[in-house]
Amino acid sequence: MEDTKNSLIIALQHHDIFDLESPNADTEVLPKGIAFSFIKAVHAVNQRLVSHNSSESLGFEVILIANECSEESKVKIVENVKHYGMEICKFYFCKKDEVIKTLQSNNVKLFLSTDSDEIYKALHADVPAAVLYDQTGVLDQLKVTFSGDIIGLPEDSLDSLADLGFSEAQIKTFKSAKICMKEFAGLIGEMRRRFGHENSPLCTCLITVWGSRNICLSALKTLGGWGLDVDEAFCMAGAPCSPILALVKPHILWDGGLHNLRDVPNFEL
Amino acid sequence: MSEIKQEELNSTNQNVEKADETDWAAAKAHYENLKSKKPRPPKPKNAVTIAVSSRTLFDMVKDRKVFEEEGLEKYVEYQQEHENEPLKPGSAFPFVKALMTVNERLRTLYPDSEELFDIVLMTNNHAQVGVRLMNSINHYDLTIERFCMTGGQSPIGYLKAYMTNLYLSKDTKKVQEAIEEGIAAAIMYKPDMMMELSETQLRVAFDGDAVLFSDESEIIVKQHGLDTFFEHEKQHENKPLAQGPLKCFLEALGKLQKKIYAKNERLDCPIRTFLVTARSAASSGARVLKTLRSWGLEIDEALFLAGAPKGPLLQKIRPHIFFDDQMFHIEGAKEMGTIAAHVPYGIGQKYNKGKLIEQPEKLQK
Repeated sequence: MEDTKNSLIIALQHHDIFDLESPNADTEVLPKGIAFSFIKAVHAVNQRLVSHNSSESLGFEVILIANECSEESKVKIVENVKHYGMEICKFYFCKKDEVIKTLQSNNVKLFLSTDSDEIYKALHADVPAAVLYDQTGVLDQLKVTFSGDIIGLPEDSLDSLADLGFSEAQIKTFKSAKICMKEFAGLIGEMRRRFGHENSPLCTCLITVWGSRNICLSALKTLGGWGLDVDEAFCMAGAPCSPILALVKPHILWDGGLHNLRDVPNFEL
Repeated sequence: MSEIKQEELNSTNQNVEKADETDWAAAKAHYENLKSKKPRPPKPKNAVTIAVSSRTLFDMVKDRKVFEEEGLEKYVEYQQEHENEPLKPGSAFPFVKALMTVNERLRTLYPDSEELFDIVLMTNNHAQVGVRLMNSINHYDLTIERFCMTGGQSPIGYLKAYMTNLYLSKDTKKVQEAIEEGIAAAIMYKPDMMMELSETQLRVAFDGDAVLFSDESEIIVKQHGLDTFFEHEKQHENKPLAQGPLKCFLEALGKLQKKIYAKNERLDCPIRTFLVTARSAASSGARVLKTLRSWGLEIDEALFLAGAPKGPLLQKIRPHIFFDDQMFHIEGAKEMGTIAAHVPYGIGQKYNKGKLIEQPEKLQK
């Protein structure tokens, strides 16, 4: 994949690409991790983009970040990427506390992780980050989901979240997430427009978990203003989100750190 | 947990449940914080969830034509161009308004209860069409806070995820799929003329066989004739009929009615149910009433027509919705101004006006 100025660079970590917890992790060939389906879907989008227009400059670029790896592991990782034929152009081996710096210096448009703490920390440092969802699906469509609660809430309402018990740091993170989502949405929107409504390798979705229908409506319009017309929209108004997510099966879930609520005082039920 | 939901709560694990509880608390806080005058929607597991499609809630006949004649892309464009024009009410609109009225009463009598109607918009449409739908819902100030705009995917999975008690759509295939999955569902038809309906009471009329009850007796009529049917019903008078696809919905209505009776409001109950059956009271009616009794269900009015047409009687009853399994009765109801909902279940689908349809697999849309 060429290093063009319209590349949407996505960073993944080696322990999400390969399943290092599995009992078979000692073998030469590493077992597949959660990110496999994602990488396949990204590859399909890239192929379709080029097939529509051979001089297409827009596309995804996946880079791999691995921290605290032995020399042996580094070799194993590179070999396995080759073995599986994954289109990963760059490898960054660094220390654990250097991950954020690595992301920042490489113009990463999205850092995907399964660890919500990591995502929260990244967003706090203004690095765009989202959840790599364990969708265990057979979808060949790349599915990207945005949080309507963050996008649909106007600025002053985001501030008033302090009344609900959210800390200033958390609110700052939500605001940072909103800015990151805007940029990402614009890029995804452009890509999405290369395909029609049907038979698209890329599908975008909006999920509003807490907000009322007007928040959802506001989010839809905001996203439209940012250049992305989403395909699917769900408004939960507080209903349990997990059954719906299990059906939507996104690869990328932009929740803006909203669901990392461990530090929020217990609400009165 | 409320008994209104028939299915068990499928919770995957402790963490997921905890996360869901937090979402719920946050939504509750969010609503209260924004000092919204709008009441907060109930938790799905406690509520009677009614899912309506966009074409049943609103009149989208013209829009459908654009889709069929010009294709999906042009259709979405058309909806985006007209997004600020509210849609006109559809066949399920009066039903939804009546549900809202009942909720208001229930909230007055039981301010902390979540045993209410919860209306979900369940549509195949793309989210961009959703903007117009939401603008229209705002225009009429309907209490619909939950949406699924599936962008072309089948809604069946989502129906289950919302623990839907009743699904109304214009799409035969989807309704059949829902019934097969055990969800009460029906295909809505707009009546030929609009009648004035009650604004203070939800009135729901049900056919008996193959709607509230299974089609076991229906099969006997179709295959062996009326005389055999009468004999069979007399013989089995004390054996309850098996349940049909809409039985659970009647049950849910009954539970809400009981709550209202408990507050001494029986004479002014905002829900009234009717049984409108072609059975005759003398020869085959007893079994029906005994079956209902064995299920612990009450129906407010039972009307045995002994084969007379249903249209004129329904015109007097003026229900917000009438469920029947046979198109013949649906047509009759429609012609005389009743909002009819076809339940595509049982042997009645293979017959038209008593005659076996040559190709039973091809069903009319």
